[in-house]
Amino acid sequence: MSQSQIINLDEKRDFEVNSSNLKHVRSFCREVFEKLNIKQDLKDELVLAIAEAAQNIVKHAYNNEETEDKMEIKISVSNGQLEIGFFDKGRPVEKDKIRHRKIDDIKPGGLGTFFIQQIMDAVVFKEGEKPWINHLILSKNLNN
Amino acid sequence: MSYKVTEENNISTVYLDGEIDMDVTEKAKEVIMPLIEAKKEVHLNLKDVQYMDSSGISVLIESHQKATELGTKVTLKEISKSVLKVIMMAKLEQILNLD
Repeated sequence: MSQSQIINLDEKRDFEVNSSNLKHVRSFCREVFEKLNIKQDLKDELVLAIAEAAQNIVKHAYNNEETEDKMEIKISVSNGQLEIGFFDKGRPVEKDKIRHRKIDDIKPGGLGTFFIQQIMDAVVFKEGEKPWINHLILSKNLNN
Repeated sequence: MSYKVTEENNISTVYLDGEIDMDVTEKAKEVIMPLIEAKKEVHLNLKDVQYMDSSGISVLIESHQKATELGTKVTLKEISKSVLKVIMMAKLEQILNLD
C-alpha cells in the first residue's frame, strides 16, 4: 500500500489504569484505525498489540493493584510510520527482565510480549519525562 | 463476555460470547474449570467470540492442561476467525484440540 493512501494523524487519550478499561482502550484504537486505509487484519493485529501493552501496564507496572492513576496512549501516523506511545506512572520497567516465554514451553502466561513483538517492527522502553515514569514506544511501518 | 452451558451425552458445551480479555478471564475460568474438575468432556464454542487476547489464550491452555491431567478433554469448536488467528500466532494449533 503506498504511503500517499495513509493519512497522517495524532490522537491521544487517557485511561484509568485497571483491567475493566482495556475494552475502552480497544475502542479508542478501533476508532483511530478506522481512519486509516489499511487492511482489517492489520487493524485487528494493531489493536491486539496495543491492548497487550496496556494490559502489561495494569499487570506489571501496577501489579494489578487499585489506583486512580491514568495512563496515556498516543497514536501517531506520519508518512506511513505508525508510532504508539504509552505513558504511565507505575513502577519503573526493568527492561532486562522483559521477555516472553519460550513459545514451545506451553504454559499459561507470557504471551502478551510475544504478540507485541510479532506484530510490531520495534518496541522501545524509555524513561518517561515528568510526570510519567515509563514511556513505551511501539512502531510499525504501514507502507510495507 | 457472556456464556451459556449445555449438557448433552455427557459433554458440556460452553458457548462463550463477546470479548475475552484480562478483565473476564476469572469469570471464564469459574465457568470452565469446575466442568473439567468434574471430569466432563468439555466443548468450548467460540463462534461468537470476537476478540481474545493473551489472557484468553492462557485460559485455553490452562483448561487443556487441566483436562489432560485429569484424563478428560477440552475441544474448541466453531472457532471464530479472529480467535483462530490469535491461536495460530501463539503457535497452539497443534497443541490445543481444534475442531
